[in-house]
Amino acid sequence: MTQGPPAAPGPRGRFPGFAVMRQAPHWDEVTALTIRSRIAPPAPRFFTAAEQATARALAGQLLDQPHDDLGVPVMEMIDARLADGQTDGWRQEDMPEDGQAWRDTLAHLDSDAKERFGAAFADCDGREQAAIVQAVQDLGSRDWHGLPAGHVWSLWTRYACTALYAHPAAWDEMGFPGPAYPRGYKNAGVDAREPFEVRDARPALDPVRERR
Amino acid sequence: MSAGVRARNESAWLLPNDGTRTNHRLRRDMRRFGDDDQVDLVIVGCGAGGSVLAQRLARAGWRVVALDAGPFWDPDTDWVSDEAGSHHLYWTDPRVIAGADPVPLGSNNSGRGVGGSMVHYAGYTPRFHPSDFSTLRDDGVGADWPFGYQELRPYYAAIEQELPVAGEHWPWGDPHGYPHRPHPVGGNGELFLSGAEKLGIEARVGPVAIANGRFGNRPHCIYRGFCLQGCKVNAKASPLITHIPDALAHGAEVRADAMVTRVGIDERTGRATGVHYVRDGASRFQRAAMVAIAGYSIETPRLLLNSASPRYPDGLCNEFDQVGRYIMVQGAPQTAGRFDAEVRMYKAPPPEVSTEEFYETDPAKDYKRGFAVQTVSPLPITWAEHVAAQGHWGRALRDYMSDYVHWACLGSLCEFLPLAGNRVTLADETDCYGLPVARFAYSQCDNDKALLTAAQHVMEDILTAAGADEVITIKRYAHLVGGARMAKDARHGVVDGRCRTFAVPNLYITDGSVLPTQGSANPALTIMAVAARAADQLISGARGGDG
Repeated sequence: MTQGPPAAPGPRGRFPGFAVMRQAPHWDEVTALTIRSRIAPPAPRFFTAAEQATARALAGQLLDQPHDDLGVPVMEMIDARLADGQTDGWRQEDMPEDGQAWRDTLAHLDSDAKERFGAAFADCDGREQAAIVQAVQDLGSRDWHGLPAGHVWSLWTRYACTALYAHPAAWDEMGFPGPAYPRGYKNAGVDAREPFEVRDARPALDPVRERR
Repeated sequence: MSAGVRARNESAWLLPNDGTRTNHRLRRDMRRFGDDDQVDLVIVGCGAGGSVLAQRLARAGWRVVALDAGPFWDPDTDWVSDEAGSHHLYWTDPRVIAGADPVPLGSNNSGRGVGGSMVHYAGYTPRFHPSDFSTLRDDGVGADWPFGYQELRPYYAAIEQELPVAGEHWPWGDPHGYPHRPHPVGGNGELFLSGAEKLGIEARVGPVAIANGRFGNRPHCIYRGFCLQGCKVNAKASPLITHIPDALAHGAEVRADAMVTRVGIDERTGRATGVHYVRDGASRFQRAAMVAIAGYSIETPRLLLNSASPRYPDGLCNEFDQVGRYIMVQGAPQTAGRFDAEVRMYKAPPPEVSTEEFYETDPAKDYKRGFAVQTVSPLPITWAEHVAAQGHWGRALRDYMSDYVHWACLGSLCEFLPLAGNRVTLADETDCYGLPVARFAYSQCDNDKALLTAAQHVMEDILTAAGADEVITIKRYAHLVGGARMAKDARHGVVDGRCRTFAVPNLYITDGSVLPTQGSANPALTIMAVAARAADQLISGARGGDG
C-alpha cells in the first residue's frame, strides 16, 4: 500500500499539553545542549539558493509540512549533515556519494517539474509537487534520470525523517518524552505512564483503521 | 559471585562511584610505550574481541598496546540521551555496498572508538547453540568450526559473569542460568509474553548484559531505553567498562585516535613486524613481536587486503582467495503490531524478551536452520524508517508516527548462511588516508529468503495473538560476522582454531570476522568468548606466536 498526501484530516493534538522542552531542566547538560542547538540550526552551507528552495519543497512534501508546519527546519538540518559530510556510513554502488546525490536529484526534480508543469519544483503548487514525488516513488526500483528510483527514495526519506524526528516538536506530536538521562523511567508496562507523560486523548484513532 | 569475578577482572571496581562514569586518573596514569619499543603484542581495534584479548594478556604480564581508530570515550561528556546526536558512535568513513541485497552499514552494525560496536549494541547476549558448530556435518549447509561448543562453554560462563548478564534460566541450546536475575519487563515485552503464551510458544526474559542491581561501581539500569545510543549510566556492558579498565590497571596501553593503515611485514621471513598507523596526521609505526587484528568483519579484511606487499601480492593471508569471504549478516525483519492500549516501547531494554523455539533445523520445514524472535523497541527515527518502508509519506507518515505509543515491535534474527560471494573487496574510491575503501557485496540464497518469510509469519502470529489489529513489517539486517573465518586449513579459511592466521605465524585475528557460522544469536558474547579462548591459548604458549 502506498499513500500520497490525502485530503483526510489527520490525528493531531493527541497529547494535549505535552511539551518535551518543558522537561529540559531534567536532562544532562550535554544532551540538553545537543537538543537546543537543533532547534536553531546554522544557515545553510551546502545547498545553493536554488537547491535550498527545491529541498525545502521536497521535505515539505515528504513530511507533510505545508499542511501542518511544526516549525522544524528540516532543510537546514539536512544541509548541515551534508556540509559536515555526516553520512550514514555507506552508499549504494549505483549511487553517487550522498552530497552529490542530493544535488543531482534536486536538479532532476526541477527538470521533471519544468517538463510537466512548466515551472521549477519549488514554484509548483502542492498538488503538482505531490504528483512529481509520487511518480518517483511509483517507479520502484526502475530508473529515474539514470539512478535507481528506490535508492533515491531511500536517500530522501532517510535524511528527511532523521531530521524531523530528531526535533522536539515532532516528539510532542507523538507523545515521546525525548531524552531520559539521568531521570530514566519508573513506570514501564502496558498503559503505564510517568507523571510527565500525557495519555493519548484519541487512542482509537488508529491510522490503519482510518484508512480501511 | 562478584568476589570471584573481581579477582580475575576488576574493571567494574575501577570505575568511579561518585556519579561520574570515567576513571580519568587510570587513563592519565596509563603506561605508555614508544613506537620503537618492541611490545609483545599490538592489537588493532578495541571492541569486543580486541579488548578482551588486551585484558587477558595484560593480566598475564604481556606488554600490550591496543590501537583504536576512534576516541577513548567518556560517557559523561561524549554521549547523549538522543538518537540523532549519537551519530559519532558509528563507523561512517566511506564504504560502498553492492550485490542483489545490499546491507546498510554504519549505525546498523559498525562501531567506532574504544568499546567498538558494543557501545551501541542492544546489550543482548545469548550463547550460540551446540548445533551452530557443525551445521555442515549435520545439516549439509554452512560450515563446521575447528572446535565444538564444549570448548567455548567455560568462556561463555566466564564472560557472562564479567559483563554481567541478567536473564531467566535459558532452556534452549545448552540449558544454563545467568548470574543476575531478569530485569522487569516493559510494555513491548509484556505483549510478546502474552501473545507467545496464547500460541503455546515458550518465551523468556533476557539475556541482557545489563547488571540487575549494582555491580562493582556500576549503578543499576534506569530503563531509559537509549541502549543503542551508548549507555550514559554505565549499566549496559561494553568493553569500555568491562575489560579496558582492568587492562589499563595491568599495564596495557590503549592508544585511541590511531588509524592502522597496514600491517608491517618482514619480506625475508614473512613475519609481522608491527603496524603502520596514522595519529594526529602523522604516519607512525609500532613495533611488536605479535599482531592481533580485531577490526570486525569489514575493516579486518580491508586491512589485510590493504597490507599487500611483494611477498603477499594479493593481500595478507589471501593466498587462497579467502580474505573477505563468507561474511554473514542476520536477516532481521522487524514486525510491529498496533494496540489500542499504550505500549510506549521506548522504556526498558529494547531487546528484552525472546524465544529460541525456532532456532534449530525443523525436518518438517523446507529450509535448514532457523531464527530467533526478540523484542526490539525502535526510537522515533528508527521507527520512522519502519513506517516509511511501508511506502507511507506525507500526511500518512505523520499520522502513523503520531500513533507511536500504540505500537509493539518484534525483530527476528534469521541465520543467513555463509556464502563465498558475500565478501569485502577493495573499491576504487579512497578514504581520507588515501586507502581504498571497502566494497561489501551481499546476496541472499533461497534458504535465507525462506527463513525471512517464516520468521515474519511467527512474529505476525504472536502480535495478533496478543491483540494487535494490524501488523507491518520492514525487512532489514543485523550484525556482521565472518570475512576471515576459522577453518581446518588455509584453503577454507584465514585462521586456525586458535585464531592464528595460516599465512603469518605471529599474526592473529580475534574478532567477529573469524566466526564460520552465526546461528540466530546476537554475536557479541561469542566474539568475546572466542577472544578469551584465544588469549588462554596464547598465554599457555610462547610469545611471538611460535607456541
